[in-house]
Amino acid sequence: MVFGAEKTHWAFKPVANPKPPKVHDKAWPLGDLDRFILNRLEQKGLRPVAESDRFTWRRRVSFDLTGLPPTVEEIRVFEADQSPQACEKVVDRLLASQAFGERWARHWLDLVGYADQIGTSNNVFAEHAWRYRDYLIDAYNNDKPFDRFIREQIAGDLLPHKTVEERAANLVATGFLVLGDIEIVEADKAKLHVDIVDQQLQKTGKAFLGMSIGCARCHDHKFDPITQGDYYAMAGFFRGTSTVYKTKRGVWSDVNVIELPETEAQKAERDKHEKAHADRLAKLKGERETARKRKAELDDQLKKKDLPKEERGKLTKERDEKAGCIVKLDKEITHAEFFAPSVPRAHGVRDVEKPGDMKITIRGNPRALGKVVPRGFLHVASSARPEIPQDQSGRHELADWVAGRDNPLTARVAVNRTWQKLFGEGLVRTVDYFGLPGERPSHPALLDFLADRFMREGWSQKRLIRSLVLSRTYRLSSAHDERNHATDPDNRLLWRMNRFRLDAEALRDAMIFTSGKLKPSTGGPALPLEFQENVSNIDPKNVNPPSFSLRKWRPGQEFERTIYLPIIRSAAQPGPAELRNVFDFAQPSEFTGQRAITAVPTQALFLMNSPEVKKHVAALAARMKKETADDAKRLEYLWLSLLNRPITAQEQREAAAFLKQAGEGAWSELCHALLASNEFLMRL
Amino acid sequence: MNTTQLSRRQLLQSAACGFGGLALSGMVAGMARGASPLAVRAPHFAPRAKRVIFLFMAGGPSQGDLFAPKDYITQNHGKPIASPVGDDGQLRVGVAKFLPMAPVAPVRPRGQSGLMLSDLLPNMAGVADELCMLRAMVSDNKAHAPAALQFHTGHIAEARPSMGSWISYGLGTENENLPSFITIHPPGDVRTYSASFLPAMHQGTPLRVPGNDREPAIKNLRDPDAKTEAQRRRLNFLQGMNQRLLKRVKTDAQMEGIIQSFELAFRMQAETPGLVDLSGESKETQEMYGIGDSKTDRNGRACLMARRLSEAGVRFVQVTIDGWDHHGDIRTALPNSAGGADKPIAGLIRDLKRRGLLKDTLVVWSGEFGRTYWSQDLSGTSPIAKHGREHQQESFCTLLAGGGVKPGLVHGETDDHGYRPVSGKVHLHDLHATLLHLLGFDHEQLNYRHAGRDFRLTDIFGNVVHDIIA
Repeated sequence: MVFGAEKTHWAFKPVANPKPPKVHDKAWPLGDLDRFILNRLEQKGLRPVAESDRFTWRRRVSFDLTGLPPTVEEIRVFEADQSPQACEKVVDRLLASQAFGERWARHWLDLVGYADQIGTSNNVFAEHAWRYRDYLIDAYNNDKPFDRFIREQIAGDLLPHKTVEERAANLVATGFLVLGDIEIVEADKAKLHVDIVDQQLQKTGKAFLGMSIGCARCHDHKFDPITQGDYYAMAGFFRGTSTVYKTKRGVWSDVNVIELPETEAQKAERDKHEKAHADRLAKLKGERETARKRKAELDDQLKKKDLPKEERGKLTKERDEKAGCIVKLDKEITHAEFFAPSVPRAHGVRDVEKPGDMKITIRGNPRALGKVVPRGFLHVASSARPEIPQDQSGRHELADWVAGRDNPLTARVAVNRTWQKLFGEGLVRTVDYFGLPGERPSHPALLDFLADRFMREGWSQKRLIRSLVLSRTYRLSSAHDERNHATDPDNRLLWRMNRFRLDAEALRDAMIFTSGKLKPSTGGPALPLEFQENVSNIDPKNVNPPSFSLRKWRPGQEFERTIYLPIIRSAAQPGPAELRNVFDFAQPSEFTGQRAITAVPTQALFLMNSPEVKKHVAALAARMKKETADDAKRLEYLWLSLLNRPITAQEQREAAAFLKQAGEGAWSELCHALLASNEFLMRL
Repeated sequence: MNTTQLSRRQLLQSAACGFGGLALSGMVAGMARGASPLAVRAPHFAPRAKRVIFLFMAGGPSQGDLFAPKDYITQNHGKPIASPVGDDGQLRVGVAKFLPMAPVAPVRPRGQSGLMLSDLLPNMAGVADELCMLRAMVSDNKAHAPAALQFHTGHIAEARPSMGSWISYGLGTENENLPSFITIHPPGDVRTYSASFLPAMHQGTPLRVPGNDREPAIKNLRDPDAKTEAQRRRLNFLQGMNQRLLKRVKTDAQMEGIIQSFELAFRMQAETPGLVDLSGESKETQEMYGIGDSKTDRNGRACLMARRLSEAGVRFVQVTIDGWDHHGDIRTALPNSAGGADKPIAGLIRDLKRRGLLKDTLVVWSGEFGRTYWSQDLSGTSPIAKHGREHQQESFCTLLAGGGVKPGLVHGETDDHGYRPVSGKVHLHDLHATLLHLLGFDHEQLNYRHAGRDFRLTDIFGNVVHDIIA
């Protein structure tokens, strides 16, 4: 452990409020952010490259804010709008779109280890996990202040509330703490509890504070000033938190299910569903009764010894049919009863009956206990001791500390995460780790400036994003410059925009979007559990928990945005979500703020040969054919749709020649080529 | 040269940059460093083994039935005994009473060594003298998913690099045209063959033995509807665009990586089928693996494929054979599972031996854990003849062969209940350390820096088991 680091390490110092520096080229900056960037470049004698063309900017901002490309229509509108507010108008529209939340919620899910599955064993479905995903989408779209966002996710169940909707959202938000990979089949329940505490602490530490606290479970941290005492002081908040309960089946536990309060309208809606459900159930049971009676009759008749052969055959056939019918109805009834309409529910936490401080567990062994450590915060970041009500876990106090303006880490970590999504690399490149061996910020003053402003402006994510993408820096082209490159090959000083390959969601969504098939979604369950064939073990006598097996999808589900598709841990991502498996999707058992970007031939094979891509190609080609009969116009349209820029004269010639050579299916071939091209795969 | 066998040279010719495109997948990183990240690297010291074949018996085979019968258990078959487990905090389901259950078939000494093997494994009994049996293996979790994860990665919960990835990272590939880690019929949990934070080209490449002509061995390996020349034309057009863009931006490692990956992928789809086509193998060889017999065909093909891949230079080949999770009616179920695996595995060991490969190929046979010597009855009402056995990670059996381990050796013993090790305990971390040792690595030195600290396969644990090394 490094003593004294709490005083010297940049990330533990209070967030400063630095003044934007002076720059020589006064015309270049569009705002304060640009002054910080230009100042560093000028110090090194570098000049930023020129702005990118408007088409590139339009595509870039669209993907970054919504994970989708612009439409041909939107591109034309923007091209025609020469007013000084043209960019602002675009950004405001993107920020106001539903697609914005669908994009940014996914970034957050990477930090949660989210899946529609509980744990990894036996395909146990997390029936209500989707509510947390929808909560995130709403939070981003409603620009929920980030400090509030933090408080709800750590302690939503303990927060005061004014309305039913607010209470429900608060409870759903605690899904943050329970939707990771929890090993509910652990047979040692004391160990399960301390392991969950550990996971919650690690997740909270990483997502909000950019610290790895987990190491201190067994020993003082080797590199950071986090002691074992710190670990157990923080762990105490989660020790008093109930996450799972033991089910009646085998050794299995399950994640808590919390009932949510309903509005009057929701209740009225549920009444309707319940009525319809009761009617359906009565009908099914009636049918089953009729079938049973008839079968009993037939069984009786078949007992007669002197039946003619033909008659016996006929009766046997009918009896077997009825028997089959009864089995089918049994299943249908069991399924309907299991998934009966109910009050809305979510996976979340509550305080245990007797919360309290935690004892050190030696090497994580719940039966080898050390001394009690009073609940408290990381001493590097706070000297305060929380006053915790006796009957509470203290998560409320923890949330207040994490989301407090005095916390030196939270706002810096949050701002840096947002920066990384928009510029490709964070100002601190180790986005999840602000500890001593982590990277130092490339622009420490800018990071503090942004963090301070973020807090002063009410922790508004949208305002932050808006200011970033409307900067000159964000407008820069990603073009090469020999001189700059020689001095700063990694582009740490942002003399150009970084280029990067789109992530799995953006790639798949863009394919569906451009082929015109994208189906808007209003959220809801990802797993289609309403189909009996997707569910097994719902019989309560079973020793294993209810589980899913994805055999059947909802009509149109394959055309929904990727964030709405089920995420599972126990196998490769299924069905239409298959693309996630090859394009560096975040493992749903890990917490990570930045995904790897790899280039492996399995990706090329996927783009060349997979039935999934071929399906999108066929739809895209069909759409192009419908658009216009004129080949040249069609090519223009294709380029605008996929690459979001006009086709060049050379490309027109080459594409025309290609179409001629390719003969039958030529348009599909061309669409296929473009969907696999670097310009489509990347955001420049 | 045996003409039915694919030689290294042929393979190099036919698969130049083929299959191994996968292996070169880290080219982005590689180009940045100016060397292929899969270039052969020397280990820390002279290795005993150059490659590993890991036969993963998913589900947890019962060691008491297959390898290590206990007199006390056999003598007390069906009679309730006092709890042998103490207060360990574990819930036990279907174990209302501890009922010792004798092996479901006779277990006898085999070969010169006298290693004990069940009558359910007649073919493996024939290669008993090649086997090194660890009878006091220990791991840390009782549930399938975490236990399997730990067996592959050393960790029960967090995603860490798989041992195949570590070995690929440590040694590079013997054959630039092949991935260095291939997993045949992989377990469902993709983390078992994930490179995690190691560079992506060290991840396991899943492969399945094709069931029909349209189904490729590697997913999306080809498009059965596409003509090669049309695909090439499409690729030319696409690469033309890619090159123009690259020229415009001058230098971009990601773009270059993607451009290369397409060329490699294109050649792979042409070349790989030859490597995974088993029809060139002699009838006698196929028969030795049980190919053609419906009971053993799938596993036989997988094991033969493993030999071909190892021979061609793949560092780590895994074959997963599942169906060992016998919670009930083990008397019926175990003979089926054993029958499907016995001949293919024995065939593999024999084949490696006669080709001179066994001496530097380490074969590992293991489940993620074993099973209890007492019975389990989930229904609570069945007679003991219908009982099964519960998971047991407190002790189980792992078999090793070749690659510098002592053949015909039994290492370790458990108590009368077959529950706790009494001697020769080998924790999973120790097995990992030993495996790396045989490959020429000090397990404490094979590190990778990630998130601010050095990680290794054995975390902060592991002792090499020198007693089993020849």
